[in-house]
Amino acid sequence: MLVIVTENAPPGLRGRLAVWMLEIRAGVYVGDFSVKVREMVWENVKKGLGEGNAVMVWRAQNEAGYDFVTLGDNRRVPVDMDGIKLVSFLPNG
Amino acid sequence: MLPKLKPIAIKERISLLFLEKGELDVLDGAFVLVDKNGVRTHIPIGSVACLMLEPGSRVSHAAAALAARVGCLLIWVGEAGVRLYSAGQPGGARSDRLLYQAKLALDEGLRLKVVRRMYEFRFDDDIPPGSNVEQLRGMEGARVKKMYELMAKRYGIEWKGRRYDSREWGSGDIANRCLSSATACLYGVTEAGVLAAGYAPAIGFVHTGKPLSFVYDIADLFKFETVVPVAFSIAAQHPKDPEGMVRRACRDAFRETKLLKNIIPTIEEILAAGGISLPKAAPDALQPAIPEERGIGDAGHRN
Repeated sequence: MLVIVTENAPPGLRGRLAVWMLEIRAGVYVGDFSVKVREMVWENVKKGLGEGNAVMVWRAQNEAGYDFVTLGDNRRVPVDMDGIKLVSFLPNG
Repeated sequence: MLPKLKPIAIKERISLLFLEKGELDVLDGAFVLVDKNGVRTHIPIGSVACLMLEPGSRVSHAAAALAARVGCLLIWVGEAGVRLYSAGQPGGARSDRLLYQAKLALDEGLRLKVVRRMYEFRFDDDIPPGSNVEQLRGMEGARVKKMYELMAKRYGIEWKGRRYDSREWGSGDIANRCLSSATACLYGVTEAGVLAAGYAPAIGFVHTGKPLSFVYDIADLFKFETVVPVAFSIAAQHPKDPEGMVRRACRDAFRETKLLKNIIPTIEEILAAGGISLPKAAPDALQPAIPEERGIGDAGHRN
């Protein structure tokens, strides 16, 4: 299972993601791929993201059962708590 | 209106989460850690078996109440996971299980059956028939000592025995410090498991007289397949942050050995060695006036 959520992404990237994945809500893409394909898709996001931001989450063999990476600026940032990834929400300004 | 909050089963959770520095509170119904800069971090408390609170954390009343409602055990720990104080009551809500455990512990014959099963479990095979508990304890002591020595040899560590002062952290060599830190992780998870299943942490069989006697009994069953190899392998690397690395590695070991999935069935299996069944309510006892709700958590969880 692979989910990518984009915010403020250029139409070019959104179209590109829709080539492989289903856009189930505005900017929310879902699919199910191998590691190789996941990395290829994320490479596309990296190149095409512009001023936007994105997060990708997939099933992983860790205690949480999933892992995720982010790109671009967002008030939500991943934090590591002794190996468990949580998300901090930054205050305004 | 949202449905009522209920605990989920221990096996579906993350084993441990360590938190330091910040105020734990409830915002919009979620459990949050707020630091002095106003940064909020959501803690998925309902999917954590045991929350270890380090020096520098403060917990609000609402946060403690929410933790209890979703069945997460809160443990206040000192430096490197040495337990200071523990509270939170996610389980222990099953009188039939408490009475069953107490009956097994009080009857000398039944207690011996349970103790014997515990040693069988740890030896991983049948033990000589007719051996009494003293002999079993002696055999186990010798075996444990040998395993420590073997493991130290495997990881190239100088080993002078298990030595530590529980009151003074930093005493003991690096291997002993890693072992203390790793066993603290195991005890936290085990206590969460014991409580979630509805048993009493204090009623032990091999161990006795301590608030966590039963926790030590159960943790010992898993110690050598989980935290001991972890502690030695970390100690061998001479890391800058041994405790942090131990925690991470413990979590991996818990996942790989399916500890959270196995812990409650193992408790049941060990106690079943007594050969008695859960007590039935006395015929003249009053059934609860409010019918019991069905939960999706473990049998001892409050709903």
